[in-house]
Amino acid sequence: MLDLNICHLYPDLLNTYGDRGNMLALQRRAQWHGINVAIQNITIGDSFDASAFDIVFLGGGQDYEQEIIQKDVLEQKGSEIKNAINNMKVFLCICGGFQLMGKYYKTWDGKEIEFLDALDLWTVGGKERMIGNIVFESDIISDEGKPLKIAGFENHSGRTYLGSDIRPLGKVLYGNGNNGTDGYEGAVYNNVYCSYSHGSLLPKNPLLTDHLLTLALKQKYDTFSALNILDDTFENAARASVIQRILK
Amino acid sequence: MKLRKAISIIISKFTIFTLHLLRRGGTTLPGKIALKIYPGILESIAKDFEIIMVTGTNGKTTTTRIIEEILKNNNINYITNKSGANLLSGITTLFIQAVSPGGKPRHKVALIESDEAAFNQVTKHITPKAVVVTNFFRDQLDRYGELYSTLNAVKSGLEHTAENTALILNADDSMCASLGEGTSKPVFYYGISCEAYQGNSENVNSDAMFCIFCKSKYEYSNHIYGHLGSFYCTGCGYKRPAADLECTEIQEAGSSFTTVKWTCTSSLLQEKKEFVTRINLPGLYNVYNAMAAAALGLTLKYSADTISEALQSFESGFGRMESINVGDKTVKLILVKNPTGFNQVLSFLALDKQPLNISFIINDNLADGTDISWLWDVDFEQLNSVADNIDRLVTSGIRGEDMAVRLKYSGLDTSKIKIIKDYNMLIDEGLKGTRSGGCYYILPTYTAMLEIRGILKKKFNLKEFWK
Repeated sequence: MLDLNICHLYPDLLNTYGDRGNMLALQRRAQWHGINVAIQNITIGDSFDASAFDIVFLGGGQDYEQEIIQKDVLEQKGSEIKNAINNMKVFLCICGGFQLMGKYYKTWDGKEIEFLDALDLWTVGGKERMIGNIVFESDIISDEGKPLKIAGFENHSGRTYLGSDIRPLGKVLYGNGNNGTDGYEGAVYNNVYCSYSHGSLLPKNPLLTDHLLTLALKQKYDTFSALNILDDTFENAARASVIQRILK
Repeated sequence: MKLRKAISIIISKFTIFTLHLLRRGGTTLPGKIALKIYPGILESIAKDFEIIMVTGTNGKTTTTRIIEEILKNNNINYITNKSGANLLSGITTLFIQAVSPGGKPRHKVALIESDEAAFNQVTKHITPKAVVVTNFFRDQLDRYGELYSTLNAVKSGLEHTAENTALILNADDSMCASLGEGTSKPVFYYGISCEAYQGNSENVNSDAMFCIFCKSKYEYSNHIYGHLGSFYCTGCGYKRPAADLECTEIQEAGSSFTTVKWTCTSSLLQEKKEFVTRINLPGLYNVYNAMAAAALGLTLKYSADTISEALQSFESGFGRMESINVGDKTVKLILVKNPTGFNQVLSFLALDKQPLNISFIINDNLADGTDISWLWDVDFEQLNSVADNIDRLVTSGIRGEDMAVRLKYSGLDTSKIKIIKDYNMLIDEGLKGTRSGGCYYILPTYTAMLEIRGILKKKFNLKEFWK
C-alpha cells in the first residue's frame, strides 16, 4: 500500500477562510485512491524536518497572525523550507502562505516586511481588498486535453508580482488574480503551487488535488504512474455551477 | 435646521406610508432619504430616547429579543428594530416611525440591534445608555475583511458613546472582554463559570489564540466552545475578568430548553441570591445570550424576577429556530450563518434520537456572505458519530452543490446525500421522508430562510407564523 505524509504548517495561524478544506481534500482523496495518509500539524516552536513529509500545506492568515509567524518562519524553518523546494517537495500555499514564500511584503504606506525569499515574487499592499469569485485557466493541468478551469474565491489586499524565474499557475478568466492588472493567478516553481484562491480551492477542483497527489507519489515511488479515476459528480457540479454563473 | 428636520421627517414618513400601500416592507429606504435631506436627523430625534444597543457577531438578534421580553415584563413603552434592519438607514427609519411629525418621541426606550460593522457609524448619531456586546467570531469575513478589524470598529464606535454609557461584555471572549480594559465607563461582565461546563479541549481552528495585547499564546483553565472560556495570557497577565453575572450550573440541556442556575455579584444586585431558570432555548450559545440579556436588565435596574421570567417565557425570535406543524410532522427551520453557530446547531441535532432528515440550503447573496469558504470551517465531521442515525441529507440553494461536496468530504456515506435545487420538490420529499411524529430539519442561510419561509407559507396556507 502507498503512503503519504502531509504536513499542515502553522495550522493554528495560517488557516482562514476555510483553508482546512484543502487538507480535507488531500486526505480524503488520497484515502479514496487507496493510499494510507498521515497528517501532522507543525506550528511555532516545533521543529520542522521536511524529509518526513510528501506534501506541505500553508494556508492564509489574518495580518495579525502573519506578524506572529514571521520570526519563526524566517529564523527557524526558512532554510529547511528552501531546501525542500529545491529537492522538489510538493507544497501548496494559499493566500498568506503564497505571500510568505516571496521576498517581501510592502504595506501601502511603504513599510517593507521581510519574507522568506524562497520564490521569486513579492507583494505590495493595496488599500482596496480584492474580493469575489474567481475562475482561472491552467495549462499545467489538462482537462480532457484542454487547460483546466479552476474555480474559487479570492479575498486579499496584497498585490503579488512574479519575477522572471517563476511562472503563474493560470490565466484569470474572471476576477482579479495576483494583482488585478497582469491577468495572472498564482505561481508554480518546481513542485510548489501557490494561489490566492480560497473556496476552499481543492475540494471542488479535484483534478488539481489529484495532480498534487500524483506529483507527491511520483517523487516518492519511482514505479508510480497514475491515480485511478474517482466519481467526482458532486465536485464537478459545484465547479460547473460557479463557472456557468460567472462566465456567462 | 428645524425646517429641514421637519421636512425630512415628513417626507420619510410619507415614504414609509407609500411603501406600506405598495405592500413593500421597506425598512431602509425611508431612513436613507431622511439622512440625505438632513444628515443630523437621527441625532436630533434619538436624543430624547433611552437607548439600549446590542452588537457583536453571533447571537445579537436572540439577545435583543430576550431584552425585549424583559422590557415587556416591566411594562416599558419601547421601540425596537426587526427584520435584519440593523444598519444606519434601517435604524433611522425606526426612529422616524417612533416620533410625531413634529419630532416628539412616542416611546421611552429604544432597543437597537446594530450590525457590528455599522456600529461605528450608528454611534456617531445616537448615544446609548448601555451597550451589550455578545462575542467576536469569524462571520462573513468577506464583508468586513478581518475579525480584528471588526473588533476595532466596535472599539472605535464605543469611543463615540458617553462617559457613563454602561458596557455589558462577555467575560469568556478574550476579544470582547478586551473592550473593557482601560476604559473609564462602567463595565459589567457576564459569562459561564468553570463549574457550569467543561468543554472540549482546544480547537485548532480557534478565532483568537493569541493575546490581543502582547501576542503570546493564551492558556485556558477551561474551554466552553470556540475561543470562549477561562483564558489567561502568560505573557502580560491579561485574563478572563471576574464576571458580574454568570451561569454557575447547567442543570439540564434539553433539545428545546436549558435549565441553568445563575448568580450575580453586588455590583448588579444588592442581595446575594441564586436563580434557577429554565431558559426557553436550547444550546450553550443561548445560555450566553440569556446571561447577556440578564446582565443588561440588572444594569438598568429591572427586577431580577422579571428578568428570570423573561428568560422562561421568551419565544424564539425572527428566524433563529422556528417550528411549524404539517399534519403529524414538524418542520424546524434553523438559521445558519457562520461556523460557530452552525457547529452548535449540529451538536443540537446530534441529540435527536429520531432518524435525522436534514436539508441544508446555502445561498451566497450579499446578506448571506458571498464567500462560502466558511462551510469548510464547520465541523460536519461530528456527524460521523451519529452516522447510523442519519436518514438523508439534502442540499439546495445557489451553493447547494458546494454544500454536497462539503458533506462528501466530511466522510459521510454519499448515497445518503442528494442535491435538490427546486424548493417545492425539496420540501415535498423532505416531508415524505419524515416518519409520523418525526421532525424535518431545514438549515438555511439568511436569504434562503426568507425564500423557504415564503414557500412554506404558501404551500401550507400559513398565517405569518414568524411574527
